Amino acid sequence: MIQTGYFQVLMAALLAGLAFVLARWKTIPVEKEIGFGTVRSFVQLIAVGYALEFIFGSDSLWLVVLAVAVMLLVGAYTAGQRAEHFKNGFSIALVAMTTGSLVTLGLMLALKIISIEARYIIPLTGMIISNTMNATAIAFNRIGSDLKSNRLAVETGLSLGKSWKEASRNYYREAVKAGMISILNFMKTAGIVALPGAMTGMILAGTSPLTAVLIQLIVAYMLLCSVTIGAIIAAEMSIRRFFNSAEQFIG
Amino acid sequence: MSPCQDSTILETRYVTRQVSKNGHILKTVDNVSFVFKRGGVYNIVGPSGAGKSSLLRLLNRLDEPIEGEVLFYDKPLVLYPPTHLRKKVAMLFQTPYLFPGTVRDNLAYCCELRSEEIARSNLIRVGLKSDFIDMDAESLSVGEKQRVAMARSLMLEPEVLLLDEPTSALDPASSKKIEELILSLSADLCLTVIIVTHNPEQALNLGGETLLLVKGQLIEAGETSKLMTEPETELGRKYINKELT
Repeated sequence: MIQTGYFQVLMAALLAGLAFVLARWKTIPVEKEIGFGTVRSFVQLIAVGYALEFIFGSDSLWLVVLAVAVMLLVGAYTAGQRAEHFKNGFSIALVAMTTGSLVTLGLMLALKIISIEARYIIPLTGMIISNTMNATAIAFNRIGSDLKSNRLAVETGLSLGKSWKEASRNYYREAVKAGMISILNFMKTAGIVALPGAMTGMILAGTSPLTAVLIQLIVAYMLLCSVTIGAIIAAEMSIRRFFNSAEQFIG
Repeated sequence: MSPCQDSTILETRYVTRQVSKNGHILKTVDNVSFVFKRGGVYNIVGPSGAGKSSLLRLLNRLDEPIEGEVLFYDKPLVLYPPTHLRKKVAMLFQTPYLFPGTVRDNLAYCCELRSEEIARSNLIRVGLKSDFIDMDAESLSVGEKQRVAMARSLMLEPEVLLLDEPTSALDPASSKKIEELILSLSADLCLTVIIVTHNPEQALNLGGETLLLVKGQLIEAGETSKLMTEPETELGRKYINKELT
């Protein structure tokens, strides 16, 4: 196991410094972002570390629920910002992400994959919400751009007596697929192209590679489940916003 | 006049449609009333932005009027399920859209392929060879696509065909063929054809009745040959003299 302390983090910050110097030398306009990002990630992660220490130590279920609720709200707000072509992106994202996250988490508890302990629930929910947020945002973006740019195809379908669902089915499918593509690619290449981050972290922290792999597999299947649920709900709810009850395209 | 042209099939009663454009409310159709008879051919003409396409889209409820109503067989459109209505009042757009796949896939899109024979006979009806059915839709010319789109609409067995400038992207020879096709469909199938055209000559070729729209208002309507040669209104005269832009 490697020694980990503030000294090692400070040494690692030299790598960020190298990135800063390279960017400046090549006049790539990201120096501010590198500087800000390095400091911000340090402050945020240290704060989260202390918060998690406190939550794990307090053994309070309410604090776990509060942490999950905050993660969901921030995630839904972020994904909702990507709903450029329709209204209520935040509420749709909240429904999609909450359902995807809670169903997945509930199943993991019911199947006794994890137990109700803050040290399991909070990090796993964080991963679930983060991935579902990305899937939701991508589905939002895809639905909007596809429907807008394929208005003729959609209205041709409607004019041939199809319902809005039938006329837009392909775009719905493509949006869900686009939302899932990241986790699907990850599963295809996991272990071949790169070792997943969580698994690498566990191995660095001293866990045996085989145990790390088993946990990584659980994480991958968990994310696949939540992302699929989230992307389907996000696409179904958002595509509905482009049509009214008279089967008219109002996007 | 076609022998089947005896009853009202579609009627607009004081219909108004407005849209919001750049923060302004714009009336695209303004208080238009007109009666379309079964089996008739109707041209909707007018300068750019007159509301021709907007009016057409109200007839199969792709859009909703904010005032007035449209009736199909004397019943307001809102009383028909939209999916059912649009099979009876089919619409073809200015740019034909064919779904990816073969011509057969497109003919089967609306209603599952009831029979290969019907599909092939509809292809022949629109002036294409029946073996077009196996062709890739993407490989067709615009004129062929427009004909396939028309054959696809005929698979619905519609009673009204709405055509939004169907020949605007075609060369004169192909346009002429489409015009002949429209006339034969109306005569043979008792189909009511309502066509938006920016071309007064095309309206004269198709005959029937013509509606002249200017700024969303119905300025004049009547027999095409009369309206296009001896209009009764000042705006009508300006239109045929190409003074309206």
